[in-house]
Amino acid sequence: MPVPFEAIIPMGLVVVMFGVTGTGFSLAKRMTNEGKPARHSLDDWERMMMNRDERLTGTPRGQSMNPTAPKEFATNSAWQTEKLA
Amino acid sequence: MATHRDAQFPSTPYIEPAPAPIGQPKVEEVGATSAPLKSAAFFIGQQCQEVNEDFMLCKNESRDPAHCLKEGRRVTRCAQDLIKKLGENCGKQWEEHWQCLEKNNQELYMCRKPERSLNQCVFEKLKLVKNIPGSPEGQPQIHEKKNPVWSGVQR
Repeated sequence: MPVPFEAIIPMGLVVVMFGVTGTGFSLAKRMTNEGKPARHSLDDWERMMMNRDERLTGTPRGQSMNPTAPKEFATNSAWQTEKLA
Repeated sequence: MATHRDAQFPSTPYIEPAPAPIGQPKVEEVGATSAPLKSAAFFIGQQCQEVNEDFMLCKNESRDPAHCLKEGRRVTRCAQDLIKKLGENCGKQWEEHWQCLEKNNQELYMCRKPERSLNQCVFEKLKLVKNIPGSPEGQPQIHEKKNPVWSGVQR
């Protein structure tokens, strides 16, 4: 019996569509994360460390190996506050 | 009885205006970010064990920030020392390992190969061995296990 090539066409279409959306989503996430995959399953510790990273390097996913912090680090800790009265 | 009031969130966050108190020795803060620190964590733990334990015991006595400033400065200096030595001696392997961690949600099990070369370099140059406290006695530690259950595609 000859190969049912007509069935391959919708299978190929579905594969291509999944591939395009998956790649597009991954690229969108990488663009917001400076070329790195997105962080997931973050707990409070990880969130606070990422906050500290941003204070140290200025960008959300920047990393640095310096032993000492830059001068701005001493004063750029900002607290989200609510104004009472 | 509490009445409802609308929350007011000012557009500018609050930054503490008071400078650091005078009369304290000035020590720079540790400048390494999360991925290099996670990579170097077990070496910092081994090298700085006494000062870290001092600090934790001091904090156990009282959580007042002013109580443990001296031990805190010692901890900072010890960590900065080790980070500098790591950068000078094993900088390339360290950088490879934490770059790998950054690409894998900072999960250690995904980056065993760069970790092996980093552990080898640190053992040769700085004489520090990664040891996981609380690891079960008879078996090899998880980073030395030959065929781990959880791993990436390439070991």
